[in-house]
Amino acid sequence: MTRPPEGPSPIGRAWLDRRRFLSSAATGLGSIALASLLGRDGLLAASPSPSIDPAHPFAPRPPHFPARAKNVLVIFCAGAVSQLETWDYKPELIKRDGTPLPGGPAVTFQGPAGNLARPQYHFRPRGETGKMVSDMLPHLAELTDDIAFVHSLTSKSNTHGPAENFLSTGFVLDGFPSLGSWVSYALGSENQDLPAYVAIPDPRGVPQNGSNNWGPGFLPAAFQGTPLSAKDPVRHLSAPGLGLDADLAARDLLGRMNRRHLDDHPGDGKLAARIASYELAARMQLSIPRIGDLSTEPAHILKLYGADDPSDPIKAAFARNCIMARRLIESGVRFVQLFNGAYASGGELNWDGHSKLREQYDRHAAILDQPAAGLIRDLRQRGLLEDTLVVWCTEFGRMPMFQKGAQGRDHNPDGFTCWMTGAGVKPGVSHGVTDELGQRAVQDVHPLYDFNATILHLLGLDHEALTFEHNGVRRRLTNVEGDVIDAILSHPPGAAVTASATAG
Amino acid sequence: MPKTAAIALRLLALGIAPGLAAAQDVDFVRDVRPILQRRCESCHGAEKQKSGLRLDVKSEAFKGGDGDGPAIVPGDPASPILARVESEDESDRMPPSGGPLPAAEVATLRAWIERGATWPDGVDLARLEDRRDHWSFKPVRPPAVAIGDDAWSRGPIDRMILDRLTKEGLKPSPEADRTTWLRRVSFDLIGLPPTPEEVAAFVADAHPDAYERVVDRLLASPRYGERWAQHWLDVVRYADTHGFEVNTERPNAWPYRDYVVAAFNADTPYDRFVREQVVGDAMGKDAATGFLVTASVLLPGQIGADDVSKRLARQDAIDEIVVNVGQTFLGLSIGCARCHDHKFDPITARDYYAMQAFVAGVEYEDRPMQTPEALERRRSLAGLKAKAAELDRALARYEPPARPGRVRPKEPSPSINEDSFDPTEARFVRFTILDANLHPTLGLIEPCIDELEIYAEGPDARNLALAAAGAKVTASGSRTSGIHRLEHINDGRYGNSWSWMSDEPGRGTVTVELGGLARVNKVVWGRDRQGVFDDRLATAYTIEAGPSLDAMTTVVDAAPSRPAVDARGNSDRFAPVATRRVRFVVEATNNLEPCIDELEVFDASGVNVALATAGATARSSGDTTVFERHELRFINDGRYGNARSWMSSQVGAGWVEIDLGVERVVERVAWGRDRNGEYQDRLATAYRVEVQASDGSWATVADASDRRPSAAGARKPAGPTFSTAGLDDESARAVRAIQAERKALDGRIAAASREDLAFAGIFRKPDDIRLLNRGDPEQPKDPVAPAVPVALGSLALDARAGEQDRRRALAEWIASPDNPLTARVMVNRIWQGHFGTGLVETASDFGRMGTKPSHPELLDWLAAEFVRSGWAIKPMHRRIVLSATYRQSSRSDAEAAARDADARLLWRYPPRRLDAETIRDSMLAVAGRLDPKMGGPGYDLFDKRGGLSGFTPVESFKGDGLRRMIYAHKVRRERDAVFGAFDCPDAGQSTARRRESTTPIQALNLFNSRFTIDQAAALADVAAREAGEDVDARVRRAYRRVLTRDPTDVEAADAREVVARFGLATLARALLNCNEFLFTP
Repeated sequence: MTRPPEGPSPIGRAWLDRRRFLSSAATGLGSIALASLLGRDGLLAASPSPSIDPAHPFAPRPPHFPARAKNVLVIFCAGAVSQLETWDYKPELIKRDGTPLPGGPAVTFQGPAGNLARPQYHFRPRGETGKMVSDMLPHLAELTDDIAFVHSLTSKSNTHGPAENFLSTGFVLDGFPSLGSWVSYALGSENQDLPAYVAIPDPRGVPQNGSNNWGPGFLPAAFQGTPLSAKDPVRHLSAPGLGLDADLAARDLLGRMNRRHLDDHPGDGKLAARIASYELAARMQLSIPRIGDLSTEPAHILKLYGADDPSDPIKAAFARNCIMARRLIESGVRFVQLFNGAYASGGELNWDGHSKLREQYDRHAAILDQPAAGLIRDLRQRGLLEDTLVVWCTEFGRMPMFQKGAQGRDHNPDGFTCWMTGAGVKPGVSHGVTDELGQRAVQDVHPLYDFNATILHLLGLDHEALTFEHNGVRRRLTNVEGDVIDAILSHPPGAAVTASATAG
Repeated sequence: MPKTAAIALRLLALGIAPGLAAAQDVDFVRDVRPILQRRCESCHGAEKQKSGLRLDVKSEAFKGGDGDGPAIVPGDPASPILARVESEDESDRMPPSGGPLPAAEVATLRAWIERGATWPDGVDLARLEDRRDHWSFKPVRPPAVAIGDDAWSRGPIDRMILDRLTKEGLKPSPEADRTTWLRRVSFDLIGLPPTPEEVAAFVADAHPDAYERVVDRLLASPRYGERWAQHWLDVVRYADTHGFEVNTERPNAWPYRDYVVAAFNADTPYDRFVREQVVGDAMGKDAATGFLVTASVLLPGQIGADDVSKRLARQDAIDEIVVNVGQTFLGLSIGCARCHDHKFDPITARDYYAMQAFVAGVEYEDRPMQTPEALERRRSLAGLKAKAAELDRALARYEPPARPGRVRPKEPSPSINEDSFDPTEARFVRFTILDANLHPTLGLIEPCIDELEIYAEGPDARNLALAAAGAKVTASGSRTSGIHRLEHINDGRYGNSWSWMSDEPGRGTVTVELGGLARVNKVVWGRDRQGVFDDRLATAYTIEAGPSLDAMTTVVDAAPSRPAVDARGNSDRFAPVATRRVRFVVEATNNLEPCIDELEVFDASGVNVALATAGATARSSGDTTVFERHELRFINDGRYGNARSWMSSQVGAGWVEIDLGVERVVERVAWGRDRNGEYQDRLATAYRVEVQASDGSWATVADASDRRPSAAGARKPAGPTFSTAGLDDESARAVRAIQAERKALDGRIAAASREDLAFAGIFRKPDDIRLLNRGDPEQPKDPVAPAVPVALGSLALDARAGEQDRRRALAEWIASPDNPLTARVMVNRIWQGHFGTGLVETASDFGRMGTKPSHPELLDWLAAEFVRSGWAIKPMHRRIVLSATYRQSSRSDAEAAARDADARLLWRYPPRRLDAETIRDSMLAVAGRLDPKMGGPGYDLFDKRGGLSGFTPVESFKGDGLRRMIYAHKVRRERDAVFGAFDCPDAGQSTARRRESTTPIQALNLFNSRFTIDQAAALADVAAREAGEDVDARVRRAYRRVLTRDPTDVEAADAREVVARFGLATLARALLNCNEFLFTP
């Protein structure tokens, strides 16, 4: 935090004073406690998987090799943002507007396909690179020089739910660990007073596959994303309707009970870990409300994000989520996943522009653009982009045709754009190419596995080595696939790496 | 390929010059093998076999990779391996990085292949492992156990545990005290702590079989099945929603959950349990096959409209069944072979698809259960329906006959009606209600009048009916309440709250005696002149007036109309007439071409003589034909509904004629637009029914003129309700009696028609299964017939085998005593349920990636015992929990822990944190609030039972919410707001063993949630009630309920102080959070 922390509340202070029984509990356990807990939770000694100290599940852990980025901020645009209206400029599509696509699919996800339709926004060259980007997201477009675009991504599903699973977990099925869970499992966190992994749902609702996007799958529950937004605080931060004194008394009594019990059961690390968890909980009770309290943000910051926009409450709410994301990153939270767009709603609440694409994208763009651009600028001006990887992603792209009888585009998993900027990313590159109409990736084709492998790589993690044994399979984020996309790295492998590794 | 390896290859490529001229002889060992080693083996060697290709072992190299055919074809310069290394296309060329092979190396390879690719035997540097050579694939071999020469062992289990401990220089821990053992075994077997009374009884029990009797009590408890079903549901990833993005409710999933609970409680032999879950539809256990369809599935409508999406979704759905069968019963992850030959286990892609073929006819849907009750219900239904038809016929006899050609009378209005008539000398005025409109749900009910006004002739007419004017009223009967009273009819106040209501449905009479004789000429009345109510409206009535009751004249005759036409069915009765042809002529519709689902013509005995099956034929003015939907033949096919209907070719007109074949005496016609109630359009609103006389002339016997006009968009009553309009009192009573009987019968028919559905799959002709290249449904290869993995058995079926036969064969093979995996996997799950860790730590993976058993002999002994004792599970628990091993103290020991930190060798009983369900259930139990109600649909943890987003948790539970957590409606992916953080599975993937993580979120949830605060309060209440006023007694009682022990002096003093200041609930909250409560001792 850049600001000095405020003093703890009476509850917190009293609870923090109880640290002594934690430390007394921890001494004398030594390596036995740790040893007895290794090998639990399926951690095989032979693999380079991290060793988790259950008393400190979020303790920072070393990466496999020196990392370029310490933290990750993912801006996840739910509903499948059209690559053709945003980042992937296709002049041929403008030329062939209104004509049929010979040999194109007659039926796509939702039904019969119509004619080719030109991009619904004007494109113009941006920045030093002169890359063509549309007018749909004018604020983000100004950042083009800093961005590495991957235009040639592919997904394994053209259905939102499975495809969001695939983007978030590397598997189309439910129940696999999310990217953020893998990262917090591997690296822990720099901040012990906050969850290692925070998911911030859109003010309009949660995305299609809900919590599976931040679920721990079969990883230990400690590594699940904690949903938190400027609007909805973490549940159970305080007990309902009890007086402060009674609350403190219960804590004190519990502390004494647990200490006596531990004295009677020396050498049981799990007991000490639980005591430690209550201490960490007490610290979260102080730090989480502080993160969510935006009243201390100066006016110029609110303005930068658009959080002061009285004319658009949803944009302002998303902007507040963006500010909270910055504060979390600033506090050393390892992985922040910021959602833009909610669930299936005929494109009304997310980017699923099937029927009225232009009208709906005008709306969604206004919500996303200034707050997200403000967030990236703010991270940069605070020097946080040195250590923070920012990822903008969506589950798949859209077809170059309009749907028959509609003014919108159907699902297209065969070629779409996501991008990265910040720590370790080569600025101002566009990697991969779709065909002249933007329908299929044709050059440097990258399944999303590669995108996720690259994120792990920037964090100093070998996606093939980061594994977890589950039901007979040494599971990875990237299944049995994945190649790091060297072309978008500022320091491709082999080049000298100067950034220091995270602590551990 | 890892980048480091790629770099290494590049360096090698620079440093080593190939030294071979094509003219020379090519020697495999000298020339070729080094190239393969350098260039290929990092991806196609012992460690990795990308695309299933391995080039360091002769037999594998010539076999080739997945679905690509041989890479090396001796003598063929077009061999794929050459094509790949020489490819111009960078994305296709091998090796994938480091640039193309030097020309000389390519030349060497080419020369070698062209000259016959000689690869001598015995020169391979690697050896192909026999993947079948794996302990769990071998037959179970129980050891002979010598028992009895040590003081500790109570049986073979202990003997084998002790042998191993001794070998490692360890020794067992002392026996735990009785309270500890009781608490442990209670959590283990029923998932709840013992009550203070159970503890006291056991501690005091001096009988030698005290322990045995505790175990028998627990195993006989219905709570046992609830506890152990949870373990099973974890493995099969049971949930009450469909998962994926829409995550809609799966409302009939719970019968499978209840089946599992009941199966454990009944100690269903495990081999039978297996069979029932795979092919229970053939064994009278319909709900059991819920096992096959426990996974998430995309429902129709969530899958893309394109065929590619549909094929992929179907593959995913079948895959989940294969995965479930493999993991649950066999402890094998067969699913990996979907895309490639399994990397570690000897399961090929072909094996995998052969397993798919066993279950390729299973669809994820509800199925009616063939329970004896359901069969009995179905049998009784026919009788009930016959009885209903009989009653309908009886009722039809009272139906008012049609009066065709009537001039339609004015329709009464619910608010106000003025009936003027010629001036009449009157002292009495009588208003007789003959019929009322139908209530939307209640049908014919008692009519209501808010005010009846009577006016005399003259310029300043006054209402003579007012009580205030000296008039008196009497009625045939009144339903009296605060708002409905007879005196309200002439109190001068309007509205429902000041009205009269008859006591008879559709009928009633009010007589007004005026204050004196007058020349009256107008009656004004209404149902609710405030305009709120429009039910209970008199629709047919007469008004009589006269100087005395013996001399009344009818001054207004609003005779009954027949009911308006109803899309769901209408009846027209007429005087019996002999005819051969009956014609239904439509003159107008509410819109479009008329549509009639069935035209029935009844004779005097109530038989429909219009049926095609009775020899009748139909013709019409013209048809709009939609194949299998609207056809002329459907007019008299005996089936109702839009999908079996006739539609005219003309808008708003058309006729259909039934030729009865012979002349018959008929008296009633029945017809409808859609008797299933879905469609209200295309309804004939004006029509006539004609019969043909023997001379060929047509006569109209019924039409719509005497029906009430059909009110467009008006609420329709729930079902056909018969009007008693125009009937004499006796007939009206008879009708009401029949109607009452009919209504009761409707209820019984509805109950008997209810199918008990279970989400247990439906079974149809199996899909043709093919080997799919890289698991891609768009790359189908050879057809595959059902067969078990070649490494595990030889069962193979014909590709034409029937659907159920396939599953039966699979079930028999799994449940066979000869299957080396089935019994081992299950006894290991049981062991894990008692010690936290199985003898094989990876309970759903007995393959080569799984861990080896800590005690292989013990595992085999248990497996053999299991089969020998008829696969009975309860005796297996008994053996384990009565063993000396299980009775050990859980105290740690620094010296032993240093050698075996996890106590895998069981030198102590390994304590563990309770799982989520046990914590919740136990909190409710110790607070005295646990509701033991079993089975049925689950209670809600959230504000909704499925759906897209935003599940708001229930905070405070009551009623059904106080049942055990296994009866919660399990929403896939949404972990319970409080207990989900305690490693509660989300039912996405199978959970073979609960994790035991510790997080600050757990602490926040358990310390601060409303649930805990509520249970702490309840615990405080019950402890206070049981202990009386004394604070120490209350503290002691709370300790006993929660921790099944008394507090020590120090604890008691500590607690007393807190209770004195903050109340007993504060102590309770701490107790419910303390480690001693949350761990199995």
